[in-house]
Amino acid sequence: MTAPIYQVEGLVIDLYTPTVSVRAVDGAGFHVAPGETLAIVGESGSGKTVMTLGPLGLLPEGVAVDLRGTARADGKDILAMSPAELSRLRGGFFGVIFQDPMSALNPMLKIGPQLAEQARRFAGLSAAEACKEAVSLLARSGIPDPEDRYDRYPHELSGGMLQRAMIALALAARPRVLIADEPTTALDATVQAQILALIRQIQKEDGIAVILITHDIGAVSVLADRVAVLYAGQVAEEGSAIDVLTAPVHPYTRGLLASVPDFRSDSASGTKEIPGIPPNQAQLEAGCRFADRCDRVQPQCNTRRPRLQTVGMGVVPHRVACPVVIAAEGIVTHD
Amino acid sequence: MQRMFMRRVGLALLLMLAATALTFWLVTAAPGNVAALIAERAAGAGADGEMIAKIADDLGLNDPLPLRYARWLGDALTGDFGISLRTGKPMAEEFGERIPMTLALLTGGGVLALVLSLAMGIAGAASNGGGIDRVLHGMALVGASTPNFFVAAMLVIVFSVWLGWVPTFGVSGLTSWLLPWITIALFPASVLARVVRVNLQDTMSRPFATTGFAKGLTRGAVLLREALPNIAIPYMTTFGAQFTLMIIGAIVVERVFGLNGVGAFFIEAIRFRDFIGMQATLTLFVVFFVSINLIVDLLAMLADPRLRRPRKA
Ligand SMILES: Nc1ncnc2c1ncn2[C@@H]1O[C@H](COP(=O)(O)OP(=O)(O)O)[C@@H](O)[C@H]1O
Ligand code: SF4
Ligand SMILES: [Mg+2]
Repeated sequence: MTAPIYQVEGLVIDLYTPTVSVRAVDGAGFHVAPGETLAIVGESGSGKTVMTLGPLGLLPEGVAVDLRGTARADGKDILAMSPAELSRLRGGFFGVIFQDPMSALNPMLKIGPQLAEQARRFAGLSAAEACKEAVSLLARSGIPDPEDRYDRYPHELSGGMLQRAMIALALAARPRVLIADEPTTALDATVQAQILALIRQIQKEDGIAVILITHDIGAVSVLADRVAVLYAGQVAEEGSAIDVLTAPVHPYTRGLLASVPDFRSDSASGTKEIPGIPPNQAQLEAGCRFADRCDRVQPQCNTRRPRLQTVGMGVVPHRVACPVVIAAEGIVTHD
Repeated sequence: MQRMFMRRVGLALLLMLAATALTFWLVTAAPGNVAALIAERAAGAGADGEMIAKIADDLGLNDPLPLRYARWLGDALTGDFGISLRTGKPMAEEFGERIPMTLALLTGGGVLALVLSLAMGIAGAASNGGGIDRVLHGMALVGASTPNFFVAAMLVIVFSVWLGWVPTFGVSGLTSWLLPWITIALFPASVLARVVRVNLQDTMSRPFATTGFAKGLTRGAVLLREALPNIAIPYMTTFGAQFTLMIIGAIVVERVFGLNGVGAFFIEAIRFRDFIGMQATLTLFVVFFVSINLIVDLLAMLADPRLRRPRKA
């Protein structure tokens, strides 16, 4: 297994707005290696975006962020960086694809020149080379007639084309880590598969690390090497995609998979939603965050916060934060 | 785009027509009799009812209002705004002498308001809640709530009377323009600085600003290169409105600083019941108002790629 290129540990992120304060991320961590795709799944509001973009300083202005933990990019502590250093890292080391390309691309700026500028600043190309590179990036992202699209404004492209442009923009600086935050959620169903295929192709060709935030379990099964399941700002379960998808242990993961239509052949009996709603993250309680909704809940769940334990014998550690199921099902742990 | 353009122009022309008709009606309905005034001027106290009636008849003052308006409009379109009852000079000549003065006042004030508001708004957004932001916010509040005659008085006392840097009255050279320009620019600059600041802040929390950060831009670069272009349209529209309102400021400022402009002429016209002068000046104001707003609207349309290049179906 290659060493991680981006690694986050013990991350705690508190968000403050004039009206609310929430602990959006509560001691979570993840890591991703070159050539690897990590999927981060969880219900909306579980902290996927904040956990992934928070350490990069990419949370929207207007909310105050208090952030603790460690985050290392290529061995460097990014939380200790100066704003200027972090800016350079954001531009060159990370490439980010956002959920809604219609709002994530500046309506007043043409597509192509932005790509060219990234290529010039971060890939060290001359202006003329950068312009060519931009056109070829657009072509590579599956945009037909890229010379024409180069001079287009976002409103002149369809949602699917815009997301391709967004991908091209993220790649222009030749990043080492590509972060895609629900890259298909805002798109038509027909386009979603194409965008995922594009991300997979890029990953294969460039061997970069990919962090895919999604709640599309189908996408996880196709793209991901590893999966981290996030619940209420904590990692409930993580491991290889095969382990987590075919042998989930945490009741939340099991519920999440059971709620996916036709994911497993034996779920033909119909899908079931996990009953209840995620906890109010403004109120922190001891114990398991999932306790209110868990069908396996035991009295001790409300007092002791479960920690991640390694289960199984796989090369990729499979870790689960639920002592109750581990004990009840006689699952061997080793750590 | 072209059709929208033509519609705006058509609308502007209609607006000018309606506004001049309204002022014509108001001015003629105002108490006071043009014929009596002219007779008085010609014959002094010797003017009698017969003479007044004859003058009124000659001038067509007894014709129905629409006809009189049509006649006035026909003349105005050829550049003939009548002869000032106060000065006895053709209005075209009065304008020729005074418009450059007012234009210099408005242009200088406009440029100053533009520069000040952008500088203050951007500096505030860059400081983002810091000390500079709060100081600038306070300054803008004061600037937007201080009447211009008071501003003028303060400036004159400090810079002319105490320091003796600039003349108190009239214009001679560039420095003498400074106080009038500052006075007339203060209010619009303050309002526009808030527009810049508030819109920038709003824009900085939009998803594309986050993309700007993700591209590796520093906050300053995101502010100037990603956010600023996005506030161009609201800024231009507000600027147009504020710039046209400056003509009202000009009336006060020209009086206070003794500038022989159109605004000062307008006040005199009212004092002397110079109906011809009033109507001509108001027409000038209307044309200024409507055409500046039209130009700004069209520029704003051109600045917006979504309007400039609508998506092909
Ligand atoms: N801009 C924000 N202002 C206030 N709270 C926020 C903001 N963004 C996220 N949060 C809170 O942080 C938590 C995690 O959000 P997020 O990371 O966006 O979830 P996900 O990406 O998994 O849908 C949620 O409880 C949400 O309410
Ligand atoms: S620790 Fe208890 S409440 Fe939490 S998931 Fe396991 S069984 Fe459910
Ligand atoms: Mg999210």
